Amino acid sequence: MRHGFRRLDEILRGDATRMSRLHQGRIDVPIGGLSVVVTALAVIYGACMGSFSVIRTGGTEWMQVVGSAVKLPLLFFLTLVVTFPSLYVFNALVGSRLTLLSTLRLLIAMLGVILAVLASLGPIIVFFGISTTSYPFMKLLNVIVCTVSGLMGLAFLLRTLHRLVLVQDLDEAGSRADPGDGTDDAGGEDVTETGGGALDLVDGRTSQKASAVFKIWVVMFALVGAQMGWVLRPFIGSPSLPFAWFRGRESNFFVDVFDAIGRLFAGG
Amino acid sequence: MTGFLARADEVLRARPAVLSGSGLRRRLVELLVLMAGCGFVYGVVMGGYGGGRWLQMLYSGLKVPLLIAATFLISLPSFFVFNTLLGLRRNFPTVLRALAATQAGLTIILASFAPLTAFWYASVGDYQAAKLFNLAMFGMASVTAQLVLKRFYRPLIAANPRHRLALRVWLVIYAFVGVQMGWVLRPFIGSPEMATRFFREGAWGNAYVEVFRAAARLISP
Repeated sequence: MRHGFRRLDEILRGDATRMSRLHQGRIDVPIGGLSVVVTALAVIYGACMGSFSVIRTGGTEWMQVVGSAVKLPLLFFLTLVVTFPSLYVFNALVGSRLTLLSTLRLLIAMLGVILAVLASLGPIIVFFGISTTSYPFMKLLNVIVCTVSGLMGLAFLLRTLHRLVLVQDLDEAGSRADPGDGTDDAGGEDVTETGGGALDLVDGRTSQKASAVFKIWVVMFALVGAQMGWVLRPFIGSPSLPFAWFRGRESNFFVDVFDAIGRLFAGG
Repeated sequence: MTGFLARADEVLRARPAVLSGSGLRRRLVELLVLMAGCGFVYGVVMGGYGGGRWLQMLYSGLKVPLLIAATFLISLPSFFVFNTLLGLRRNFPTVLRALAATQAGLTIILASFAPLTAFWYASVGDYQAAKLFNLAMFGMASVTAQLVLKRFYRPLIAANPRHRLALRVWLVIYAFVGVQMGWVLRPFIGSPEMATRFFREGAWGNAYVEVFRAAARLISP
């Protein structure tokens, strides 16, 4: 567990995705160790989300905390399972040379970034959950928090994809120029490293290949993620409804968000 | 006492000594004591409205440091992760000291306003006016504390311009939490018609929802 957190920390600092460590388009992330950490962070954030329901019912509805803590890791991993095959196929079609395993590693690393941001915002969610009576406010606050973390994860994904493409191009160029002994395969080090964070854009531009893969992934991930969240609700727990593991299949995520905004303006 | 004042002076002038030098833990404890002391002074004066309600004065004295410490602690984890993602992790010990010093700075400024508040209480008896005056004092102290924070951040921004973005992120998180914390911890002044309590019963709610409600009433009365 501690090792997993250390690896997550490397990802967050940007050490795991430095050009010098991305050789041959491989990303060095332990899938198992990181999955455990991602699950732990998701459980923490899920419990934070459920805190609102406990306070509103006067401390009787602890099941919502348990339910959300179980369902939040599910939300992320199910989204990954549903989208992974098509993500990989598009990725191959566009001509990126990410292998199946590298794609999975990259996506798990992205989940790590998203959940680190989410879990770190957990105390704010608990604080508002304890002190707020307005259900629409809590819904919107959670949507905003999830959007912010999602954007962070996507920024990480775009930067890393770009770096991977860049490294591969350099490797290819290096091996073509020097087919003999191949000692000069450290072409990646020619690119100046800013020594910055995980969200830094090396070279100041994004390659077309990376951004094509990225656009498809963003749409897939956002749509499937939002709908998965809707299918798995309730996470916060409406104060007027009893606890249930799942709710009916009516309406959808986007309609409900607009509805919540309307309610907030109509007086909470 | 002179040591206390010297520390406060260092913070207000944003002396580099506050940020550099060894002994992170000792510095943080010093800043914490400074924050608690000055916050207590302002809180006691703030709770002194109407005169003679000793319990309210004590409560308010405890609540002002609580307000600032709780807001700071709740905002810190996400700010740490954002700093890491922005690649600013190496400077985080300095950032932490700058932020802690700013919290102390905020209460020093507030404490310096305490005589003004006392004077206002003595000259204008109205409860609504007292609330508005305290709101204005807190607002002014927050804006002034920004200056202190900007001074602390200047060398950091010079070293890496991305600290400017981090500073903005901090202000958004801190203000968002701080407003609600102030709302939850009411009453600070204590209505003269109500019994003195640490927390006001039924006062929990949401400052932002109240604002929306007020706005909605304004649009369609």
